[in-house]
Amino acid sequence: MKNHNSSIREPFNLTNCDYEQIHIPGAIQPHGVLLVINRSDWQITQVSNNTETMIGLTPQKLLGQPLTNILDNQQIAVIANCLPDNYQQINPLKVTIATHQENSLFNGIVHSLDNDYIILELEKYSENSHINFTQFYHVSKNILNQIQRVSKLIDLCQLMVQEVRKLTGFDRVMIYQFDEVGAGCVIAEDCVDQLNSYLGLHYPDSDIPRQAKHLYTLNLLRMIPQVDYQPVPIVGQIGIKHKPLDLSFSVLRSVSPMHIKYLKNMGVGASFSISLLSQGKLWGLIACHHQTPFFIPYEIRNICEFLGQVLSLEIVSKEANELLAYKMSLQLVESQLINNLGQADNITSALVKDPDNLLALVNATGAVVYTEGNLITLGKVPSQEFLTNLILWLDDKFQKSLFVTNALPKVYPPAIAFKDMVSGLLALSITKVQKNYVLWFRPEVLQYVNWAGNPDPPKQLAEDGTITFFPRQSFELWQETVRCQSQPWMPWEIEGVMELRSAVVGIVLQKMNELTAINLELEYTNRELDAFAYIASHDLKEPLRGIHNYSNFLLEDYGHILDVDGVNKLHTLIKLTKRMEDLINALLHFSRLGRQELNIEILDLNLSLQSITEMFNITKKAENIDIRIPQPLPLVMGDRILLEEVLTNLISNSLKYNDKPNKWVEIGFLDEETLFSNNDLHFVTFYVEDNGIGIQEKHRETIFSIFKRLHGVNKYGCGTGVGLTIVKKILERHQSKIWFRSIYGQGSTFYFTLPAER
Amino acid sequence: MNNLILFVEDSDEDFQAFSRIMKELGINQNVVRTCDGDEALDYLYARGQYEHLTAVARPAIIFLDLNLPGTNGLEVIKEIKEDDRLKTIPIVVLTTSSRVQDIETCYAYGANSYVTKPMGIKELREMIANCYQYWFKTVILPSN
Repeated sequence: MKNHNSSIREPFNLTNCDYEQIHIPGAIQPHGVLLVINRSDWQITQVSNNTETMIGLTPQKLLGQPLTNILDNQQIAVIANCLPDNYQQINPLKVTIATHQENSLFNGIVHSLDNDYIILELEKYSENSHINFTQFYHVSKNILNQIQRVSKLIDLCQLMVQEVRKLTGFDRVMIYQFDEVGAGCVIAEDCVDQLNSYLGLHYPDSDIPRQAKHLYTLNLLRMIPQVDYQPVPIVGQIGIKHKPLDLSFSVLRSVSPMHIKYLKNMGVGASFSISLLSQGKLWGLIACHHQTPFFIPYEIRNICEFLGQVLSLEIVSKEANELLAYKMSLQLVESQLINNLGQADNITSALVKDPDNLLALVNATGAVVYTEGNLITLGKVPSQEFLTNLILWLDDKFQKSLFVTNALPKVYPPAIAFKDMVSGLLALSITKVQKNYVLWFRPEVLQYVNWAGNPDPPKQLAEDGTITFFPRQSFELWQETVRCQSQPWMPWEIEGVMELRSAVVGIVLQKMNELTAINLELEYTNRELDAFAYIASHDLKEPLRGIHNYSNFLLEDYGHILDVDGVNKLHTLIKLTKRMEDLINALLHFSRLGRQELNIEILDLNLSLQSITEMFNITKKAENIDIRIPQPLPLVMGDRILLEEVLTNLISNSLKYNDKPNKWVEIGFLDEETLFSNNDLHFVTFYVEDNGIGIQEKHRETIFSIFKRLHGVNKYGCGTGVGLTIVKKILERHQSKIWFRSIYGQGSTFYFTLPAER
Repeated sequence: MNNLILFVEDSDEDFQAFSRIMKELGINQNVVRTCDGDEALDYLYARGQYEHLTAVARPAIIFLDLNLPGTNGLEVIKEIKEDDRLKTIPIVVLTTSSRVQDIETCYAYGANSYVTKPMGIKELREMIANCYQYWFKTVILPSN
């Protein structure tokens, strides 16, 4: 927008102040005089309109006139000899101008406008504010000495505001730091006692508009000695080359009316700020405020600029150091985690072994480790229900194994309820298919920040309802911009997480290799066991058979010459061989059970029970037995032959270990909904109940031991002691359990589970 | 009718038991017994220790134990069944093992039937009687 005349300007307001071109205001502040001079002929082409009051000459007497009217030839020669980029070497020129009966002292400040023109600004000053080099040296040396002793950046900033305040005398000196979105925070402050502190105040990006921040990177200083000033327009030759006058580097530049309003609403009478740059970008400001108008001379401002540059250098190095230290501490955490992983038996327990470490890896306040369908939580996290749903939602959101957000509630609304815990989410998918995740959470930034500024500011809202800025409102505005957001996740934190994942994957692969090796060994051992069992039983059976046959032959051939006792002994011999054969067969059968393949199909146990019942009815015809089946059994999944063996053994035990005249055994199932689920399998519980002799509690575990009998061999029929062992083994192979309840002397009930038919 | 039985059995006690029971049952067959597989093959091929025999009678049936020292029973079945001259001789496997793999393999190699040696005198008598009844009364054995 072209303008060289400050009276024609579109009014700026909140929405368009980003577009206000503050570097071409066409006016200056009234505490000095501005002249635009043509270098080739030293003619004054433009002046500010206040030359009469300041130097006793009207603009008309200056425009078109040579500079010698104000400066002497020597001074002009100094300017002329100075290279255009080097005016800092000669600034300030000491200029004495005779005005209204007295000699006024001015600091003359020169800077280049372009190749052909320079701008000369004259600021009034008084003798006693003059600083010479020695004083400058002492002041700066003192400050630099103190800086040497401070190690943390935040302490350095605090030191700096104190020194600047001592040097300048402002009521309040602060350091603002800008974050990655341009919002500011007061990180250091020194002020007079009666003022409220702004330390910790956050304000939104809009408080200092973009083009102002840009200008502040070019020109490191700006001063407004009297906030409530009347801008002085610049008059003269209409726009040099038809371009508006660029006052970017002017010390007298008139500032944006929005900014003036802002300062007034804060109760500021004068302000001065120094830019702090880090790697060419605006890192922050040293901001000075005074309640009443306040002027500091050029030299003092220069020292402040120097201090600002020192601080800027320190910022770069200290931030780099602190970042390095932080990164190193993260590395330490990471290596501890990876170390744990290498030594642990399983990944999950290694990750959660040192909860603090896992959280510290990415500076989180809460974490969740989700493996094999199990949730393990650390630190501050919401309910299981929320987490389960979040994990479901995350399923397809991962990109390159990561999902990162510092504003989770915005993309996943259910998180709003828990924004104080889960505003930030860093999710890592270790394995996608089997869903092994680690989630880290961060709270809402607002949880940390709580500015205790004065809730009753001195100024009120303007009557026309325009929004005015003052600290509490600024803070509230800022709060709005960061609602439901956490501190952003840093690149090195994400790197740490990816390295953790690599380590986990590496270890998993390694363990898989080990497992494969172990499995191969196991297979080998199993084959050997198989061979052993076979050979053992085979080679044992042969001589056993021999003993049996020969005992019989002995009986047949010589029984007639033995007495009864001798015959009985032979009978005993024969019985013993039979017993040994039973034992060997049982052992062989049991050893095969562990290794044979199961033939799983849908089974109707009712059919099995029919044939089993028939068999018992025939074989135990002489006894009074009753096999009861109150309701038909549900369909199950299993190996028919093996499960029939289970039923047969249990029913056989029930009838065998029974001393009642009327023996009964009842087979049924518990009418509950699925008792427990295990990886999509639902189990039904069956029972076999009898009125037998019962089992004492002390034998609870041992009755399943191989060859363990609770009674003598001949009591309650011959038992090898392997029946229940076989039952338990078969059920284990069906991923089921077996247990019993019993009242000694009255009866027992054996319970076992089987996978229901899906 | 040829009624020679070749009995390949390494256990003397087992062979004694069989012999006794066969006598009890009145079974009057000629039996040639060898204690291991190699001997059995030597006999069938008239070699080795049987070389000098002028006439080696060809057995009508072979009863074979699997658990033999040296060449095991399976090998013997294989060799016999692969030989055109010998493969028609029925082989009855008579052994301790009831393992499914063993049964399947024997039949796969060409054994004609598989019987397990029972435990128990009564069962043994029954088995031998049945075997004899089947193979020598019911079945027609191949001729020379």
